[in-house]
Amino acid sequence: MCKGLFSLLILFLFYTNVQAQSEYNFSEEENINAKIADVQLNTSDGGMMLSNLYNTSPILVALVFSRCTGICSPFLLQLSDNIRTLNSKEKFKVLVVSFDPIDSLSDLEDMDNRLGLNKKGQWTFATTKQIDALNSSVGFRPIWDSLRKQFDHDALLVGINENGYIAKKLTGLRGISDLKMMIQSIHNEFIPSYPLPRKNNLLSCFTYDPATGKRKPSIGLLILVLPVVLTFGLILWLAIRSKKWRRATNNHLAD
Amino acid sequence: MSAQSLKKTTATWIIVIMTLFITAIIFGILMRLNQGNDYKMSSPGFYATMTTHGLTMIAIWSVAGMVAINYLLTRYIKVPNSLSVFALVFTVIGAAMLWYATFVGQFHAGWTFLYPLPLVKIAWAKWATPLFFFSLVVLGVGWLVWSVGLLVQILKKYSLKQAFAWQHLSKKEPEVKTPPLILISTVSLIGIILSLIVAVILLALTFAEYYSGGAFVNDSLLMKNLIYFFGHTIANESLYLGLAALYELMPEVSSRPKFKTTWYVALAWNCTMVFILTAFFHHLYMDFVQPLGLQMVGQLASYFASLPAAGVTAFSVFVLVFRNHIKWSLTNVLFFIGIMGWLIGGVGALIDATISNNVALHNTLWVPAHFHTYNAMGNVLFCLAFFYWVANEFSGSQTKTKAQQLKTALLLIGGFGFVLMFYLAGADSVPRRFSNYPAEFKSAPLMATLGAVFATIYLIAILLIFIEILRKCVKAFSAS
Ligand code: HEM
Repeated sequence: MCKGLFSLLILFLFYTNVQAQSEYNFSEEENINAKIADVQLNTSDGGMMLSNLYNTSPILVALVFSRCTGICSPFLLQLSDNIRTLNSKEKFKVLVVSFDPIDSLSDLEDMDNRLGLNKKGQWTFATTKQIDALNSSVGFRPIWDSLRKQFDHDALLVGINENGYIAKKLTGLRGISDLKMMIQSIHNEFIPSYPLPRKNNLLSCFTYDPATGKRKPSIGLLILVLPVVLTFGLILWLAIRSKKWRRATNNHLAD
Repeated sequence: MSAQSLKKTTATWIIVIMTLFITAIIFGILMRLNQGNDYKMSSPGFYATMTTHGLTMIAIWSVAGMVAINYLLTRYIKVPNSLSVFALVFTVIGAAMLWYATFVGQFHAGWTFLYPLPLVKIAWAKWATPLFFFSLVVLGVGWLVWSVGLLVQILKKYSLKQAFAWQHLSKKEPEVKTPPLILISTVSLIGIILSLIVAVILLALTFAEYYSGGAFVNDSLLMKNLIYFFGHTIANESLYLGLAALYELMPEVSSRPKFKTTWYVALAWNCTMVFILTAFFHHLYMDFVQPLGLQMVGQLASYFASLPAAGVTAFSVFVLVFRNHIKWSLTNVLFFIGIMGWLIGGVGALIDATISNNVALHNTLWVPAHFHTYNAMGNVLFCLAFFYWVANEFSGSQTKTKAQQLKTALLLIGGFGFVLMFYLAGADSVPRRFSNYPAEFKSAPLMATLGAVFATIYLIAILLIFIEILRKCVKAFSAS
């Protein structure tokens, strides 16, 4: 009987086609805390290993290609704007690496001149023959579109700390606050983060008002008290009922 | 209930628990060997083993205490055997489901299942997630029915006030005297019932999210609070059940007068009952969204829940053995070492529960260090002492143990050596729950290997004790 019930339960679980709901996009989590591939770079200062760069200071790695007619230029421009506006006192470098095998160093230098990125000498431009190793170590997957003669790819910025570990990744064009967090992360500062209550999140512990920044206790906290109330109720009920049971036992003994 | 069926059920429980225990220790040794790079496990394999090990251990040592009080309570009250049989069946089915989910389905989110990990991104068979949660339902139902059943039986003889020993707070010699076993069992059973009700709410919310197809999402902070409300509370209350057995048996096997409930014993255990309910907040120190007030409550409750009970118990045991001629058998030796393990682990826990230290020790191997100390060298030994004593009862005599000193020495060296390696690694900031350590943690693999060696010595002691217990338990089935 038990065996039968057990098999039924297993069958039920097998066949209940439940889609575990994916609320979050995990691409920015991929390879976090893993080491970036220590590839040989070709830069205007000559050949060097990537570790030579991050050993001196943490780096932000941007992956682009010079023929890009899409996101690469706006991405680099915004990054440079954000860095300027943020004016962080922390020490870090920006490494722009081309993931297009046919890019040369001069293509990248042209790109820099066109966009006016490296005015303070904080930026390094590089190509590498080991781009596949670099891409896979940071979880970056550009796809060549032979019709458009373009790569289909994300705008990816990878934060590397002084030990060469990927501390944070940002995809897409992002604001100053995200960049600030990335700079904190590559300097090994802890960044607290917490999902804000959403519409389908009915039992949050706090309500948060983004306008005032204030949080108030919410219904979720009551759920924490519920087991105590239920147990208290149950014990109280048992205590009251047990008077009768004891009386019955005593009467039984007296008889 | 017939004494014979009680014996048979208890003997079956002991055999099931010990078999699962030995297997789970082997899993633990394999994990340590993997962390020491002496044996290769895949990462999912390591985490599936860790999940199975953690939950199996928590489960068997929670019920071991229940088995002990279920047997000993029959000295004071009526206890229907059906409750224990019901829980046994549910525990075996629940454990089988759990092992199927972890080893076949490769579910590997850890015993506290790290919400929202199992719901948002699964790196294992899809069916393993609900199977894992259903295994918790089955285990929980079995234990909830058993705990409520035992509490009802206590209340059939003692009023709630008497069960809490409140009459001892005001009078030195009250009319109705509450035996310590009744007091500690009541306090612990209520804690266990509460933690299982928390589990019901936790699982209901988890299933609601899982089956809602995205229409409903839980709050991570609420879920983490509920997970530790359940996990921390049940782990602690189980230990108190082991202590209940100690209060009842240790004086008896030492040929000393029975422990009595005094005002300070009553007060200490009532304090424990109240404060243990909020001590779990110390698991959330790193959750900056949790209000500071609750973090402080967590720290203070951690002290107030443990210190009074530890104080009176240590004092009572000290008075029992100090300058008294004690007949040392394996039973009271195990109780005595268990008290040492409980106190050492408790101090380790309090160090970690202090907010300023937690900043450094959080999620390091210090955490497994302290909970393995008061489990492997505390609660496990309390329950083993009971198993050994009851096995002797089944065989009809409390005979002298063969090679008692060897067993004790192996247990002490193996057990404390094993946890020492966790403490040293924790103090050196080695993180917990890493299948392989990054190169930066230079000493971690060596400490893991040494930990595995000590754990093997501990395993040998357990095997020797089990063989003796098993030989005697079998007699429970043959005697009429
Ligand atoms: C000699 C016996 C034992 C050995 C060798 C052992 C070994 C281990 C190891 C290696 C871990 C993983 C530690 C980490 O890196 O985080 C672990 C975790 C754990 N152990 Fe043990 N253990 C033993 C006994 C026990 C006992 C008696 C309990 C009783 C409750 C227990 C409960 C747990 C729990 C709850 C975890 C955490 C699992 C998780 O994080 O999900 N262990 N044990």
